[in-house]
Amino acid sequence: MSARKLVAGLGACAALLAATAGCGGSAPSGAAGAGAGRDSGPVKIGALHPVSGANAVDGQQMRRGAQMAVEAINAAGGIRSLGGRKVKLETGDTQGKAEVGQSEAQRLISEGAVGLVGTYQSAVSTNVSVVAERNRVPFVMDVTASDAIFSHGYKYSFRVQPGSAAIAGAAARYLKEVSEKAGKPVRKVAFLHEQTDFGTGAAEAFAKAAKKLGIQVGPNISYDAVTASDLTAQITQVKASGADVLAVAGYYRDGLLAAKAINAVKPNLNAVWGVSDGAFDQPKFVSDVGALGERYFSTNYHYDAKNPATVKLRAEYQKRYGAPMRTGAVLAYDAVQVIAQGVERAASTDPEKVRAAIAGSQVQPLTVGTGPISFAPNGDNKNALPVLMQVQNGQIKQVYPQDKAESQPNYSVTWRP
Amino acid sequence: MSDTTANIRAAALRGPVLKRAALTGGLVAIAIAVALIRSGSGLVVWQSVVTGLLTGGLYGLIAMGLTLIFGVLDIVNFAHGALLAVAMFIAFGVVQGTGLHPYLTLVIAVPALFLIGAFVHRGLLSGSGGATLENQLLITLGLSLLLENGLLMFFGAEPKTVALPGDFQFSLFGAVVTGGRLYAFIGAILIGAVLFYLLRRTRFGTAIRAVAANGQGAELVGVNVRRVHTLTFAIGTACAGAAAVLAAPLVTVTPTLGDQFNITAFVVVVLGGMGNVAGALVGGLLIGLVEQLTTIYMGGQSSLLGVFVVFLVVLFLRPEGLFGRKS
Repeated sequence: MSARKLVAGLGACAALLAATAGCGGSAPSGAAGAGAGRDSGPVKIGALHPVSGANAVDGQQMRRGAQMAVEAINAAGGIRSLGGRKVKLETGDTQGKAEVGQSEAQRLISEGAVGLVGTYQSAVSTNVSVVAERNRVPFVMDVTASDAIFSHGYKYSFRVQPGSAAIAGAAARYLKEVSEKAGKPVRKVAFLHEQTDFGTGAAEAFAKAAKKLGIQVGPNISYDAVTASDLTAQITQVKASGADVLAVAGYYRDGLLAAKAINAVKPNLNAVWGVSDGAFDQPKFVSDVGALGERYFSTNYHYDAKNPATVKLRAEYQKRYGAPMRTGAVLAYDAVQVIAQGVERAASTDPEKVRAAIAGSQVQPLTVGTGPISFAPNGDNKNALPVLMQVQNGQIKQVYPQDKAESQPNYSVTWRP
Repeated sequence: MSDTTANIRAAALRGPVLKRAALTGGLVAIAIAVALIRSGSGLVVWQSVVTGLLTGGLYGLIAMGLTLIFGVLDIVNFAHGALLAVAMFIAFGVVQGTGLHPYLTLVIAVPALFLIGAFVHRGLLSGSGGATLENQLLITLGLSLLLENGLLMFFGAEPKTVALPGDFQFSLFGAVVTGGRLYAFIGAILIGAVLFYLLRRTRFGTAIRAVAANGQGAELVGVNVRRVHTLTFAIGTACAGAAAVLAAPLVTVTPTLGDQFNITAFVVVVLGGMGNVAGALVGGLLIGLVEQLTTIYMGGQSSLLGVFVVFLVVLFLRPEGLFGRKS
């Protein structure tokens, strides 16, 4: 009797959650709304981020980053080609849900946004890119790892950060180069990753790139990031496999678990190697795990620590909000700049003209790149560059490639001579 | 009822329980043997078993409060996870504010959760609003949303950690055991024993069991059913408070942390038998093991898969749970 009640309860709960999520559902395609209110008043840029829910910290960071970009543009005189019209950020909360992001995107477009930035999560960006495409409004992604969006031939989707395959490829290449330079060439890489598209995609792309470089990859160990509360058994598996490098692709919380488990098991590694990992290059990670995280590597997109403009922006953020500005927020800043400069060059608030201008962008980024932000025909940033970082004396330093390095890589782990 | 008949009844009950326990143990042994063949590394399997049991103790601890509430009040408390999160934030706040040892926050978190539980039951659930299953679901689910978002507003979404001073680790025949997990495991067993004693050996425990067995009957013999309900709910949430303090150094404290444990805790409750505190502990250990062994079987893919397979099989074969009694 009671068991039946419980099952009924669980079912009802699932249905209820689905229903509340569904309420946000897709708004009708608003061709009529698409032109409203763009010709007068401030130029509106829509920012979609998860400012509530599990990813709220990053979402809030990114919204603030976008807001700071808008303020910088207005302080510099607004959009000059439109007679100095001011820019205004219209914000939407995706709550980390694809459906909500979709309806919020529709709302922002109906309210007259000339372009959208967002959204931190690939699943949400996937839906928003469809809305953008349908309404013919440019959508410049700040953080979105998935490469699938750029294989559909969309014309209105752009991305500032390097994609997941680009990061994984760079991670494999850097690993080979750095390990050889250190005189301990990599033999075998164990890959620990969370089990959704993000982690699995990173692992597959890494394995493919590593194979080309003659690096053996295995075992491939995945885990459920939502429920995992201990990764000791997984790290024991790494130890038993005899791998000399452990590559990790996960989120923040499980990154802490991995660090604790690595410290407990102490496998015979030469390096711990983050691949677009959500923990190892966060200042918060260093303060949370302390000495455990020392010498961990991470290949990821990153704010350009050697660019004076970035340093200034981050200092301002720190002053205003009392927390270090994360790379996601700097990317949001870059994305807003891309749209604003598109409007500037188009000298118009017509989203289609703005889109054409963005496609020919040459925007100086505050994140690491090999040159100005400029987009390939599929919308991906051609000059995005993943960078290798390492925790050194409790600081996260850029260590490779050479011209972006703040310090030299130390290819070793703390628990082995 | 005379002593002899009671003994005969107890023996008659104990027989099948022992048999089922033996059967479960046998199945676990087979599962471990298969894992050994599958993985080929004794160390990996041994570590998985140790980790599984230690994590399982934690699951059992969390599920104990839930099973008490469920077994006695018949309330599916979806807010249990959120209450767990509240207790963790209390522990976090006290450690931050006063620098107390994390385990000493038990003195604050457990009574606080007891009061919150009593208040929630009296204020929200015991009235006519909480009479039907649907209303209970909506109230507890709504409460969990309220608590989670309240924590989000108050503490922010930044994940927090509670450090355990003097944490150590040792090797148990090659498997790594960390102090924090061992303490949580021992704590789970101690709290389980206390609850068991409370239910079986005290007057109040007898009243709780009487209410669980037959509310109307209990009322007729003079038990204050409403009071027992409120106290049971409060004790259940206090268990969540204790679990939260013991688990706080092991996890990352976030407002949505309850979700991580909620589903597992419900599975453990059903597995162990509704309202059966010892069953919840055994069920927790089993689920912890199943989770770890599944990762070996499936090459790491979704440990929850194995958990739900076991859940469904148990529901199918023994809907009243492994150690529950037929209602």
